[in-house]
Amino acid sequence: MQLFKNPNIKFMKYKYIALGLSAIVIIAGILNINFGKGLNPGIDFAGGTLVRIKFIEPIPVSDIRQALATADLGASKIQSVGHTQTEYMIRTMQAKGIEAKNQDIEAHEIMGNRVVEVLRTEKSKEALASGKIDLNSADEEALALLIAQDFPEEAEEAARKIIAFRVESGVIASFDQIGQKIGVRNDIVNKLKEKAFISRLAVLSRESVGPQVGFDLRRKATQATVWALLGMLIYIGIRFKLAYGVSAILTLAHDVLVTIGIFSFTNREVNLPVIAAILTIVGYSLNDTIVIFDRVRDNLKILRKSEFQDMLNSSLNQTLSRTIITSGTTLITVLALFLFGGEVINDFAFTMMIGVVVGTYSSIYQSCSILYFWKKIFKPKKGMGK
Amino acid sequence: MKKNLRWRILLVLAVVALSVYLAYPPSKIPLGLDLSGGMHLVLQVVTDDALNAETDNEILRLQEQLKKENISYERISKSQERMGRFTIQNFDTEREGALRDLLDEFYKEWDYSVAGNEITLDIKPNVAFYLRDQAVKQSEETLWNRVDELGLTEPTIQRQGGPGGNRIIVELPGIDNPERVKNILKTTALLEWKMVTGGPAPTEEALLEPYGGVVPEDMQVVKGDPKRTQGGYYLLSRVASVTGRDIRMARRSIDQWNSPAVSFTLDPDGSRRFAKTTTDHLGENLAIVLDGRVQSAPVIEDRITTGSGIIRGGYTIEEAEDLALVLRAGAMPADINYLEERTIGPSLGADSIRKGLFSIIMALILILVFMVFYYRMAGVNAVIALVFNVLILMGALAYFHASLTLPGIAGIILTIGMAVDANVLIFERIREELAQGKSVLSSIAAGFSRAFRTILDANVTTIIAAIFLFQFGTGPIRGFAVTLIIGITASMFTAVFVSRLIFDVSYSKRKKRDKLSI
Repeated sequence: MQLFKNPNIKFMKYKYIALGLSAIVIIAGILNINFGKGLNPGIDFAGGTLVRIKFIEPIPVSDIRQALATADLGASKIQSVGHTQTEYMIRTMQAKGIEAKNQDIEAHEIMGNRVVEVLRTEKSKEALASGKIDLNSADEEALALLIAQDFPEEAEEAARKIIAFRVESGVIASFDQIGQKIGVRNDIVNKLKEKAFISRLAVLSRESVGPQVGFDLRRKATQATVWALLGMLIYIGIRFKLAYGVSAILTLAHDVLVTIGIFSFTNREVNLPVIAAILTIVGYSLNDTIVIFDRVRDNLKILRKSEFQDMLNSSLNQTLSRTIITSGTTLITVLALFLFGGEVINDFAFTMMIGVVVGTYSSIYQSCSILYFWKKIFKPKKGMGK
Repeated sequence: MKKNLRWRILLVLAVVALSVYLAYPPSKIPLGLDLSGGMHLVLQVVTDDALNAETDNEILRLQEQLKKENISYERISKSQERMGRFTIQNFDTEREGALRDLLDEFYKEWDYSVAGNEITLDIKPNVAFYLRDQAVKQSEETLWNRVDELGLTEPTIQRQGGPGGNRIIVELPGIDNPERVKNILKTTALLEWKMVTGGPAPTEEALLEPYGGVVPEDMQVVKGDPKRTQGGYYLLSRVASVTGRDIRMARRSIDQWNSPAVSFTLDPDGSRRFAKTTTDHLGENLAIVLDGRVQSAPVIEDRITTGSGIIRGGYTIEEAEDLALVLRAGAMPADINYLEERTIGPSLGADSIRKGLFSIIMALILILVFMVFYYRMAGVNAVIALVFNVLILMGALAYFHASLTLPGIAGIILTIGMAVDANVLIFERIREELAQGKSVLSSIAAGFSRAFRTILDANVTTIIAAIFLFQFGTGPIRGFAVTLIIGITASMFTAVFVSRLIFDVSYSKRKKRDKLSI
């Protein structure tokens, strides 16, 4: 099977249209970032606390919002995970009465504690106050100690089983579950009923990041991107010619700017994985460009007589099916990650998807145009070959 | 040709067998915190504290020496603007020579400058650097001690930024009680025994009333820990007779009323001082101060010469246990700021593993379907190479003991997508050669050799990006960079060497060599 049979598309004809289109997207992105909605920094960059909570039964978002509002945390961002209304990610924003002091994350932690606190039911609070332990947050050691009061022989085994179940399912919903699904003996369950309780939520993860970290990260991310671009400029400059290096770097810069631009129009937050995705795109998008340049280099030797522009066109056409297929395979895998990889990795997969598509487009429509303009402007005496 | 083929087959089998051996069972591949669950902490040692403490000590020492030498001065003031600077104001200028001699001899670690009747001392930069460095090192050591005492498995404690850096990264995999661990790591655990001269009083004013509202020079006001005492304010001696540093052993025990408490044993030097204090102040109150909060202030009922005693404060069993632990592990030399803290529960990690594995399998199946559909038998070849690639990647991860993180799984998936790139390049070249009417064998040879340069260039650039990504990131992101680097390197072997071998094997045995399923 073949995707394209001897394609002959006049890519270079569209160079001004492509240039215009890219310029529009980039400018729109820059305007949006600086004067519009802007990028939405996540806790990695802006600092703050992110608490991920799983409830034992569906709780509507409005209930959570209301509960948080009573604790001055009304500005928190609440994001539902999946469609079951049992799992939420809550990111707290600045709250009244809690002042952030210098670089420490204490203030953020207090807010995180408060989130968990207000989402507990009155019954849970009473149970906690009366010294009962919460099966949805107790550690194995404490649980074993509790059971061992009456059942020293079976304590460790039972505690291990209960915690293993909690790890598996995220949350323990009821005492019945402990008896039936986990297979803990009835008299132990009865003991637990007496000395422990099941709160309606379990904290799956908690992350607090101070402002200093975000500041450093911004600096490091910019540095890494710039150095990576420079490293590639040098490598391609050596392997090909400066013109190709410059063209490749401009193409990459284009990819980064367009990806960030598009990203700024979504509601997604910029966190570490998004930066990782952008750096990966820097490495990946170059693949296509290099394959095309490689062909240009070959064709410069073979098709000496033809116009530079025509030669670029035939190089693009010769590599077209390869460009589309490998982008396709990468896109397939990233799509698998986007669909099945879960919430934590979703932003990464999304950014990669934009990047792969943009990278493919730019390899075809931008990289060769830049070579063309380079030749027109600088008129290199030794030609474009090496 | 035959012989050549044999060693190539052997090499490939050996590499794959080695990888499987290294990576089997899969539990040999260490999991990152985001998959195993655990705690990641970034903390900053406030090294200014160390410098301040040193300055205070030096001022005290100088005051004594000036007294001894009979050099008069108005006062010594510590600079508020600059760390490690203090000024002797209004000294007796007639004794300037003697003062200079004194400074030259005993304060070699300080630079000084005279202006009229003022001398300003600045700590030498290399000394300041050393003090800061030591503060971070000691903090690191104390953290290690505490983590060891907790009995956690495979902790990492790492200083960031070389000798000048003041940050420490603590990674603790697989803990299920983050709150407790955090509290233990966080406490400064500076324990002091100080004599009580006044209090407890409900307010500071009430406490200082007998002294005309001013704190006497050798005393200080310390709050009672609201959890341990009635609260309120105590007036204590400024100098501690014994501190946590003098403790040789501490363990959880019970007091005479059977409530949890911490019993301690002092080292010989500490015992001597403790004996002296308890003898001199029999019948008075001795306050036990932890991190600037009075825990309890019992009456000294007896002279204690054994160097052992008990700390009470209405602790729960766990609190007593944890206090004993931090006392054994030692106090932090400086204040600690927490810059970042991430606690991932084990169930979230387990969920991520499930989803990650599912994504890998789905990606593999989708690629397989596509490649076989598009390239027929050659597609099968590519998929075999791909599976080998994943196996080698796993083996390398296990060998380098590089943690697999969730972004690392993303790296594997991405590698799957990008590794077939090399195969596609080769196959497209072979098709071109075939289209030009070349024979199957020479098309294969030309396809591989001509595509190799392109593959190399394309992969090197990706690896350059991944290396900078590794430099930039911590934990999870590094995991991603590592899998990407290994995966792409391995793909050069599998897509070029292994694929070529499969072609060679399948076509060397065949009689009919005029058709290639590609």
